Amino acid sequence: MAIASSHVVADVVEATEFPELANRYAVRGVPKTVINDSIDILGNVPEQMFLEHLKRA
Amino acid sequence: MAFLTADNQNELKKIFEELSGDVRLEFYTQHESPIIVPGGMDCPTCKDARQLLEEVVALSDKLHLEIHEVSADGEVAREHDIPRVPALVMTADGVNGKVRYFGLPSGYEFSVLIGSLLDVSKAQTDLSEETMEVLNALDKDLHIQVFVTPT
Repeated sequence: MAIASSHVVADVVEATEFPELANRYAVRGVPKTVINDSIDILGNVPEQMFLEHLKRA
Repeated sequence: MAFLTADNQNELKKIFEELSGDVRLEFYTQHESPIIVPGGMDCPTCKDARQLLEEVVALSDKLHLEIHEVSADGEVAREHDIPRVPALVMTADGVNGKVRYFGLPSGYEFSVLIGSLLDVSKAQTDLSEETMEVLNALDKDLHIQVFVTPT
């Protein structure tokens, strides 16, 4: 999505190396995706479902 | 000691034949001091991440590594909007947003990194039409953070 849109910043973050960050977002299992600090998605989800979450951001 | 074995290197060279556009890898790491500062190593994986990237980039002419050392006063980091190190920003022509990786890409995450390099290089996506519509209609920024762990 970041490739397609200049509005998107896509980060992959190693949770074990940045525990304060992982705690802030209460990362217990991975992968965990956080969009705009407000939407959480646990696990790998299909594109359609990801899109539904994204629309709520 | 190298991270990549000769077999790894050969495999990667083959994969990198698929690279299309040149990829710029902007790597942000802690300033490496020749002096050992007691209690000063804030970034335990910075050195390994740097070495790993140097090994990867050596395998293709289309991969270009730029190393930025983040100083104690944080100015470079602020200028480039880098919240933590080690940080890698991958970019190429045709990439509109930002694709970044924070931490050492080990284990399964290494293949995620290689996949990202290919995607960025091709600057293509296989997103659905609906997703593209939503993206094109965005009127605000989206910050997507995916938390992973090395396996």
